[in-house]
Amino acid sequence: MGLRVPPGGRSTLRSLAAALLALLAVGAAARAEDRAPIVIEGGKGKTYRIAVQRFADRSTPQSAERIARFREALQNALEFSGLFQRVPDGAFLGPLETESLDDGAQIACPDWTQIGADALLQGEIARDSEGFRVAFRVWDTARCRDLMRRRYVQKATANPEDVARRVADDVVEAFLGVRGVSSTEIAFVSDRSGNKEIYVMQADGSNVRKATANGSINNFPNWSPDGQAIAYTSYRQGNRPLIFLSSRGALRPGRLLQSDGRSQYRAVFDPIGERLAVVLSNGSSSEIVSVDTDGKDVRRITQSQSIEVSPTWSPDGKRIAFVSDRTGAPQIYVMSASGGDEKRLTYDGAYNTNPSWSPDGLWIAYETRVDGQFDIWLIDPEGKVNVPLVTNERSDEAPSWAPNSRHIVFSSTRRGRADLYMIDRDGSNLRRLTGDAGNNTAPNWGPFPR
Amino acid sequence: MTGVRDGQQDLRKREFRRFVSWSAGAHLAVLGIVVISPGFHSRFDASQVIAVDLVSLPASALAPSVAPALPPPPSAKPVPPAEKAPPPPPESPKPKEVVLPKNPEREPSKPKPAPKPQEVAPKPEKDLDDLLADMRKDAGETAPAPKPVEQAAVPAPSATASAGTVKVSPEVLAWMRKAKLHVRSAWVVPPGFRREALETHVTVELDASGAVVGEPKITQRSGNPWYDEGVLHAIVKASPLPPPPAAGEWDFVFLPEDAAL
Repeated sequence: MGLRVPPGGRSTLRSLAAALLALLAVGAAARAEDRAPIVIEGGKGKTYRIAVQRFADRSTPQSAERIARFREALQNALEFSGLFQRVPDGAFLGPLETESLDDGAQIACPDWTQIGADALLQGEIARDSEGFRVAFRVWDTARCRDLMRRRYVQKATANPEDVARRVADDVVEAFLGVRGVSSTEIAFVSDRSGNKEIYVMQADGSNVRKATANGSINNFPNWSPDGQAIAYTSYRQGNRPLIFLSSRGALRPGRLLQSDGRSQYRAVFDPIGERLAVVLSNGSSSEIVSVDTDGKDVRRITQSQSIEVSPTWSPDGKRIAFVSDRTGAPQIYVMSASGGDEKRLTYDGAYNTNPSWSPDGLWIAYETRVDGQFDIWLIDPEGKVNVPLVTNERSDEAPSWAPNSRHIVFSSTRRGRADLYMIDRDGSNLRRLTGDAGNNTAPNWGPFPR
Repeated sequence: MTGVRDGQQDLRKREFRRFVSWSAGAHLAVLGIVVISPGFHSRFDASQVIAVDLVSLPASALAPSVAPALPPPPSAKPVPPAEKAPPPPPESPKPKEVVLPKNPEREPSKPKPAPKPQEVAPKPEKDLDDLLADMRKDAGETAPAPKPVEQAAVPAPSATASAGTVKVSPEVLAWMRKAKLHVRSAWVVPPGFRREALETHVTVELDASGAVVGEPKITQRSGNPWYDEGVLHAIVKASPLPPPPAAGEWDFVFLPEDAAL
């Protein structure tokens, strides 16, 4: 008597077995693979592809020149950010010009994703007697949602270029969380006219103009936190260096403080613009004092008989990093802004100088001498992390932070004469900013415009 | 009386042996019919089979329903007969567990040590491969046997993720590699983020075609919202991904530093 299998029984058994095994397989796979993430280290892209619609001009009357200048400056500023690559207008499937920025206005996202755009920038400007108004909207085209909407009013006399840079810097903020710096300025020293004068340029190296023209020797420009004044050292009166102010705002231009017979080497504004740290020297030693912006209320900060120079304020204004040769060689120290509580910061290298405290407070950039030339390093304010940022067989000197703490400008002789370069905090994106003429040194990066 | 008792006991023993023999024969016959019937193997093709990880299953999941009717396990893990099975891939001559280094491209010469045997859950006496191989052998099948199970242990991405390793079948591993390249090519990491200590974990639902379904879910934020937004943008931009082995949720971890840097 054999095994009796009812009609259809074989298929039933097969089905049951198949179902059982399939369930086991799926269950096992799901349980195991749920715990196995796909780890992606580093995106291939470094720049977002952005489509920029032509900003509509709602001015009355319209000005073809104004909108053209605005558009060109916007393109240049976006490119300068290093964050974007523009999608050519000719590739657009969607409208070339912004049609509407109304809250409910949508875009056909596939029109933009199909041409490879990660982002779309829309906007409009309007200039009338009340001001220069601008509104814009930034879209994430893949997710089809807007990342940023802003509108603001500038003075009616504002340059289209300044407004465009402001927009570009905001667009950078939409992607990085920190503003771009195309609208900021850099002060520096150049001998392009035959003697060392103070110059100012846009952060991208454009629009260079003189801040001094006294025919003397000028050095160490330093911006006030509101960007309305520059303190600098000059031999313009006599054969001794003195501190002067160049102002386009409320501060009185001219001599900062009366001479007490000592040389005044360098002045640095505090983060709120109420006081300046000033280096005074009697020839054999130098000390750091602080004064108010009228040159009054002089307070001695350092008490040593050594040479103490190059003050830089912490962003909260409570500490000052400086250079002292009290151990026989220049090293970086940190102290309280009122003096005291001094702590040596650098121990590597026999010659460390020119510290610059980042606006976010995380790093102090400084220059260190290696084989007779200087490299730029970063150290944290506690002295725990000390890393090279710029190394080259030629000298790299005088680092100064961008207000977003993402970039550093410095002077380098890598091409022979001294030029200004900028580099990102992580050591990438090195760019030369000057190169037309002369030696360009002692850069100081100004604040965000207000 | 004793003889009668002995006779009854003998009778019971004989009846019991007959019953056991009949039962075993019946079970074998049923299984034989199931195995040799057409369509059985088409339902369980090799790709499905090797995706199974029995190591993580309790032994009791298989034992009660299948094991009693099958032949006893051989003393060693069966190797498919040479004439019936294609040679195994040269890179994996026999089933074994391979542990990938965290970043093969970066440290090809320093793979992590293989996991210790005791770290792996004990295998059941006979795993699914063995059972199927036995059934095919019994059925006289000449079709290629399933490829040896090569399970790769995928390490946890960081200290914040679950410790230890996860076993992944070759099929899934191959897809993971494709998906990684695909998403990586869509992901923009600005230079300012590349050396930051950022790590975002995202769960993405994929349909069978690889298309992203709905909004990816961030399961661990990096602390930098703009970095996280960039990650979400990359995933949606990358849609559709290569078709996954199975529709459902998949986990991704995004680290900003490029191994090649």
